[in-house]
Amino acid sequence: MKLPYFGLVVVSILCVLIFVVTGASIDSETLNAWGYTCLSMQLVFTDIGLICIAVFASMLIAEETAFGTARAVLSSPVLRWEFYVAKVLTGLLYTVVITIVSLIISACLGAVNYQFGDVADSIGVIYAQKEVLVNFLLAFFLSWIPLAALVMYGIFISTIVKKSGQAVAVTIGTMYLIDFTKHIIGIDDYIFTKHIGFSWRIFHQVTQGIDYQWTPQIWNMIAMSLIYCLVMFVAGLVIFSKRDFNG
Amino acid sequence: MSANDIALRLDDLCKSYGRIRAVDHLSLEVRAGEMAGFLGPNGAGKSTTLYMTTRLVHPSGGKIEIFGHDVWKNFKLAIQYVGSMLETPSFYEYLSARKNLELMGRLRGNVDGKEIGEILERTGLSERQNDKVATYSHGMKQRLGLGMALLCRPRLLVLDEPTNGMDPEGTREILSFLQERVKKDGLTIFISSHLLYEVEEYCDRVFVINNGRLISSGEVKEILAPYDNVVLVSFGGKPPDPTSLMKEEGIEHIESLPGEMFEITLANRDTVWLNKLLLSRGYKVSSIAPKRKTLKEFFLSITGRHDG
Repeated sequence: MKLPYFGLVVVSILCVLIFVVTGASIDSETLNAWGYTCLSMQLVFTDIGLICIAVFASMLIAEETAFGTARAVLSSPVLRWEFYVAKVLTGLLYTVVITIVSLIISACLGAVNYQFGDVADSIGVIYAQKEVLVNFLLAFFLSWIPLAALVMYGIFISTIVKKSGQAVAVTIGTMYLIDFTKHIIGIDDYIFTKHIGFSWRIFHQVTQGIDYQWTPQIWNMIAMSLIYCLVMFVAGLVIFSKRDFNG
Repeated sequence: MSANDIALRLDDLCKSYGRIRAVDHLSLEVRAGEMAGFLGPNGAGKSTTLYMTTRLVHPSGGKIEIFGHDVWKNFKLAIQYVGSMLETPSFYEYLSARKNLELMGRLRGNVDGKEIGEILERTGLSERQNDKVATYSHGMKQRLGLGMALLCRPRLLVLDEPTNGMDPEGTREILSFLQERVKKDGLTIFISSHLLYEVEEYCDRVFVINNGRLISSGEVKEILAPYDNVVLVSFGGKPPDPTSLMKEEGIEHIESLPGEMFEITLANRDTVWLNKLLLSRGYKVSSIAPKRKTLKEFFLSITGRHDG
């Protein structure tokens, strides 16, 4: 029960650590608050943040199966797909919450040393504050899409592995295994994890005053992530619907 | 008999796990308002059958209807009438009993705080209702499981060994409560139990399965009807020598029992004749009564096994 809160605490501590380590060493001429926030979000959701989301998602169904509460719920007027969709929504909601918490903390810490103003250089304003804000929000909302694919993957594993500890191990293990080997076996372009952080990388260019372009790569990110979401969702739902819950 | 008179109908139900037939063309009907026992040796298919009834296990074939509603085609309509407790009940152990009941009540709809309070009272958990379920004993968890099954005033209760791990007093209390609900509220109960005396004492009808097949069924009072030709005789004074009585034409068999009691099998004679015979021989008969069948004897005779 305390796991969701633990994840929030962990990312919060990580945001603070990032501030402590990087905030003081980079001056305001090099970085602005937008850039700091972007950097913080990228660092959080490269490893620890992803692990928190993956762990939570991979326990959602496995824990209920292991403790038998899935049986109790499914023998009441709750259809299998309703149960499954509820878990998916829970995973997605947790992802939204954990990213919002990270964003707020990162932004607040960024405001301590830097400014949320125009992106400018010695010559003048490159990107006005309003344009930067629009791209900032775009980056934030788009970052949810590959994270949603991660949630679906975790829930899919949670459906096929009946014990929560094993489900977590399989999810994290396969994530890292694929990450380490995808370049070697040439499947990098086909794995959704490549796109986690993509929107923040584009926004980072905005904060640097560099030319940026969302398209066409963003469509690739959206398409790849949504395909994974759909495949994992359908596969997990089919398996869950056909499963016997007889102890 | 209309569909509403039959609380539970299993029609040619099958379940296979690979080559193993756990349930093999099982058909039975549980009438509304009766308490039906479901017996069988270990591995007979009882639990699998009960799991299929609540749609937790997919059957390989056949049909299940609850008050006329197909469990697989009209699940919500069928299951709204059903409360169940299958094997060890499961709860959110970090929540209290009350919170667990409230949660399950929300899934079933229309359960108010008063009903939850009544259930907690009836199951003897009122005093510990706000304690986390993780702190409960096994017996308390069984009671809570039964309480959950009774949420939303079901018309059919499906119970798999509901008194497992409970003390004798608790067992009696629970079963008496359930029997009372059957008589007063017309609740139907389909109960699987290893404890034959529970089924014998509380059930109206019994179904016996073995190797996934229904091998016998009947009203408990008919199954436990007295033997026509076997009597139990106890003597006040010196008991007779069985070998001397065996010479009598009307006596087929005599067996000595503990406590100076004899079991006498008669051949085309009745207890009046036996009583006269014993008195004429000078024996003091303190009691003479037809032997009643036990469910255990019935069960063993049809399954040929010693576990159940």
